[in-house]
Amino acid sequence: MARGRNRPCPLCESGIRYINYKDESTLSRFMTDAGKILPRRTTGMCARHQRQVGTAVKRARYLALVPYTYVYTD
Amino acid sequence: MREYEIVYIFDPVLTEDQINERLDRFHAHITEAGGEITAVDHWGKRQLAYPINKKTSGYYVVVQFTAEASILPELERTLKLDDDLVRYLIVLSEGEPTAPMSIATREPREDDEDDDEDDDEDDLDDEEED
Repeated sequence: MARGRNRPCPLCESGIRYINYKDESTLSRFMTDAGKILPRRTTGMCARHQRQVGTAVKRARYLALVPYTYVYTD
Repeated sequence: MREYEIVYIFDPVLTEDQINERLDRFHAHITEAGGEITAVDHWGKRQLAYPINKKTSGYYVVVQFTAEASILPELERTLKLDDDLVRYLIVLSEGEPTAPMSIATREPREDDEDDDEDDDEDDLDDEEED
């Protein structure tokens, strides 16, 4: 059902075990330009990695490493 | 004993000495209870992604330690009382590096072209189509 059929998870394929919430340049690859977390249907990640990315992004947001949203105008 | 990681964001107006004094005070809670500080990494001042309490930058310190879970409430109480600590985060450590950039997650993907991050979203879109 997932688009792209049975494409394996890109993170599993590249052998990455953990996503670090302090590494914002990697996290930004899983976020839209507005700062949203990309959905599974776009990232094609397995449940475990998608969950890790989600948690990491939320931690990074709390620590002001990445914005909650880019809507701020200042 | 468990391994924890804590990230502090201090008010950037503090001097290095004032920050170290606070770290010593906080960490006394851990060491006195038989815990151990395993790594301290000062990132220094950096821009916040959004303003917190009207501040636009903060002084980041990442610390890894081992301790009994039972000391955390007391540690957190001390942290909350400090007005110059803008924010802190305590999480279970997964043995990650303390540096802002993780080496583990920066290994290039084999199937990636040499293009950089800007293209990644496009790549993903393309992949869906075929």
